[in-house]
Amino acid sequence: MFTLFKKELDYYLNNAVGYIVVILFAVFANFLYVKDIFLNGSVSMKSFFGLIPWLFLIFIPAITMRAFSEEKRLNTIEVLLTLPVSEAKIVVAKFFTYITLVLLALILTLSLPVSFYYLAHIYLPEVVVGYAGSVLMGASFIAISMYFSTLTKNQIVSFLSSIFVLFILLGTSSDLLSSFLPKFVQDMLIYFGPLYHFQNFAKGIVDVRSLYYFISITVLFLFLTVVNLEKRD
Amino acid sequence: MISVDKVTKRFKDKTVLHNVSFEAKKGEIIGFLGPNGAGKTTTMRLILGYLTPTSGTIKINGINPQEDRIKILSTIGYLPENNPLYPEMKVREYIQFIASLKKENNVDDIFSAVALDEVLNTKIEELSRGYKQRVGLAAALCGNPDILILDEPTSGLDPIEQEKIRDLIKKLSKNKTIIFSTHILSEIEEIADKVIIIHRGNKVFDGFKPKKKGTIATLFKRTVTDN
Repeated sequence: MFTLFKKELDYYLNNAVGYIVVILFAVFANFLYVKDIFLNGSVSMKSFFGLIPWLFLIFIPAITMRAFSEEKRLNTIEVLLTLPVSEAKIVVAKFFTYITLVLLALILTLSLPVSFYYLAHIYLPEVVVGYAGSVLMGASFIAISMYFSTLTKNQIVSFLSSIFVLFILLGTSSDLLSSFLPKFVQDMLIYFGPLYHFQNFAKGIVDVRSLYYFISITVLFLFLTVVNLEKRD
Repeated sequence: MISVDKVTKRFKDKTVLHNVSFEAKKGEIIGFLGPNGAGKTTTMRLILGYLTPTSGTIKINGINPQEDRIKILSTIGYLPENNPLYPEMKVREYIQFIASLKKENNVDDIFSAVALDEVLNTKIEELSRGYKQRVGLAAALCGNPDILILDEPTSGLDPIEQEKIRDLIKKLSKNKTIIFSTHILSEIEEIADKVIIIHRGNKVFDGFKPKKKGTIATLFKRTVTDN
C-alpha cells in the first residue's frame, strides 16, 4: 500500500498543479482571515475555522478530481486492477495521499496560531481541537469526492459533482439553504450537515457524536468507492 | 495450466462471449485470432478475474480467479490493449512501481531483457510507441510470472518494431504460458503453437498451428465467413 501512496504523492510533489492548489488554499485561508482580524478587535481562531469548510468545498474536489476519473480516462485503472493489490488498498492509499495534502495545506496556515500564541496568548487546546476537526471534516470531504471521481472519466464532471454535493451538505446546516425549508425540516437536516458538527470542533469542543459523524461519513464513502471499483461489468 | 470451461459473458442484453472452452498448458504460446469486437479482450479479462463470467468456470492452476484474484494476479503478467501507462512517470519509476507491487526485486534483468536501458530516465510520454510497448512488456514481466497475457502486443507499431516485439515474445516464451491476441495472421504463424479463432463471441477454431504457411489465413477466412 505504501508503494501506491508514494506513487500518488509523487505525482503531486513533482507537479506544479499540486503546489499551486495547496499554496492557493493557504493564501486564501490566511488572507481571508487576516483581512478581518483588525475589524473584529479580538484575537481568536474561530473565524478562521469558520472559513475552512467553504475553502475545503473548492480545495478538496480540486485535488481529488483526478483520483479515479483520470485513471479511467487513461485506462490505467485496468493496469492497477490487474496487479496483485486489492481495490480497498488502492482506495486507502489514494485517501492517505489526499489526507497528506490537506495536512500540508493546513500546516501552511499554522503561522497564524503560532504568532497569536506568542503575541496574545490564545488558548492553544482550542486551536488544536479546531485543526483536528478540520482534518476530520477534510477526510469526509475527500471520501465523498473520491466516490464521485469513480463515477466519471471526466475530471471536470468529477470536480463539479463533488462541489455540488458538498455544497448541498454544507447548506443543510447553514442558513444558506435551510432558510428556504420549513422549521421542522431545518431542525432535522441540521444534524446531517458537516457544518453543524464542525462548529463544535471550531469552538474547541470534542463532541463524540461529531467525531462519529465524520468517521462514519468517511468510512461509508470509502466503502462505496471500493464497491464502485469492484463493479466492472 | 489455464482451463476455460463453457464460459459465457453477457453485458446487459448483449452476449459478447458464448460458451467458450479451451485449455492452455505450461510452455504453450496460444494466439487468439479474431476481428475487432470478436471477444478476445473479454476472454483475457475473464482469465485475469478483471471481469466475472456470467456462466462457466475458469481455473488457473486449479484456482478460480474470482475466488482468489490477488493470488492469481501474482502469477500473471498482463499487457492490456492499447498499453495504458502513466505518462508523467519515468520508465525506471514506473517499472519499479509495478515491480514493488509484484514483489520483484531484480528489475535490472527486466530492463536488459526488453532493451530499455537507454531510456530508463526518460518520461513515458516522451517515448516512441515501440518503446512504450517495451515498457508495457517489462511491466508484464515483473514478478517473473508463469503466465503472460498480451492483448494485441504489436498493435499500432511499424513493421520493424512489430518484428522486434515478436522476437521479444519468442525469447520470453521459455517456461511460460503465453496467450496473446492479434488480428495479424502472420503474427500467429510466426509465434503461436496453438491457435484459437474467436468470431462474434464464439470459438470457431481451436487447434495446433498448421505447418503449411497460409493455412491459417484460409482457415480464418473460411471460419469467419461461415459464421
